[in-house]
Amino acid sequence: MKTVAFLVTAGIGLAFSLSGAVGILRMPDLYSRIQCSSKTVTMGALPALIALVVGEGIDSGYASRALLIAVLLLVVNPTASHALARAAYKSGVPMWSGAVRDEVAGREDSQRRREQDCAGPE
Amino acid sequence: MSTSLYGVIALAETAIGLLLMVRLAIGPTISDRIVALNTLSTQAALAVLFFAAFADRTIYLDVALWLASFSYLGAIVWARYLERGLL
Amino acid sequence: MTLFWTLDYLVLALIVIGTVLVVRLRNLNGAVMALSAVGTMLSLIFVVLGAPDDAHSEVVVGAIALPVLYLVAIGKARTDVAGGGEMQEEGESHHDGD
Repeated sequence: MKTVAFLVTAGIGLAFSLSGAVGILRMPDLYSRIQCSSKTVTMGALPALIALVVGEGIDSGYASRALLIAVLLLVVNPTASHALARAAYKSGVPMWSGAVRDEVAGREDSQRRREQDCAGPE
Repeated sequence: MSTSLYGVIALAETAIGLLLMVRLAIGPTISDRIVALNTLSTQAALAVLFFAAFADRTIYLDVALWLASFSYLGAIVWARYLERGLL
Repeated sequence: MTLFWTLDYLVLALIVIGTVLVVRLRNLNGAVMALSAVGTMLSLIFVVLGAPDDAHSEVVVGAIALPVLYLVAIGKARTDVAGGGEMQEEGESHHDGD
């Protein structure tokens, strides 16, 4: 029973990690790749960590570190992806030619002006 | 639970890094490489976790914790470098 | 035991790929990023070979501190160059002194 649960969760994690890597390799656009890096890899890491908890037992030394890393990844991975996408958009990385719309395009000037107002002397 | 199963999973998580290394090589913009590097660091943390279970050493788990937290720091540094440059 | 050596040689192959990328990439930022990937994989092989203390220091130094030092050096050197030429990719020309 424990082996079946371990195999199922680890299989789900590995499948999502592999699909995330293939998505990073095959997507046409930086922003699509950031989407693959953020959501799919987090979804691939969490079931693998749960599989480690299931396999080693909840009261072992592995489970505490695995759950800590799971919480860390849940907090940290969207933040890093957001910062990366924002920096890439500001530095003018082009979108895919088949992209439908750019929601931030109208707000870019006002946003930049507001940041220049808020920016202190460096 | 056989320990070789943990080894197989660590091996698979590391082998995903090969695909990411291709994107690190051919990435057209600088941000593509950052995405591949961040994902590679996460996969390395998972591989270290499962290798710790495979080798039955609890002390290897701290390396996974450091890898997971320092990949975030690296991504933030690269994002700042892209946005306004360091210093 | 053969599983262990498979993992060992796989991580070694990743290190070799990353090192070849460091040498062969024409873009400076990409080369620094490949250096960071080499640091990460080097910490992984330190763990595989049973030296977690070296893996700790390799994560901090090889994956973060050394690329940041290279980035600072490249940023300071490149402000003198007018236009990056072929060393430059699209989307990174904004904070050079152009």
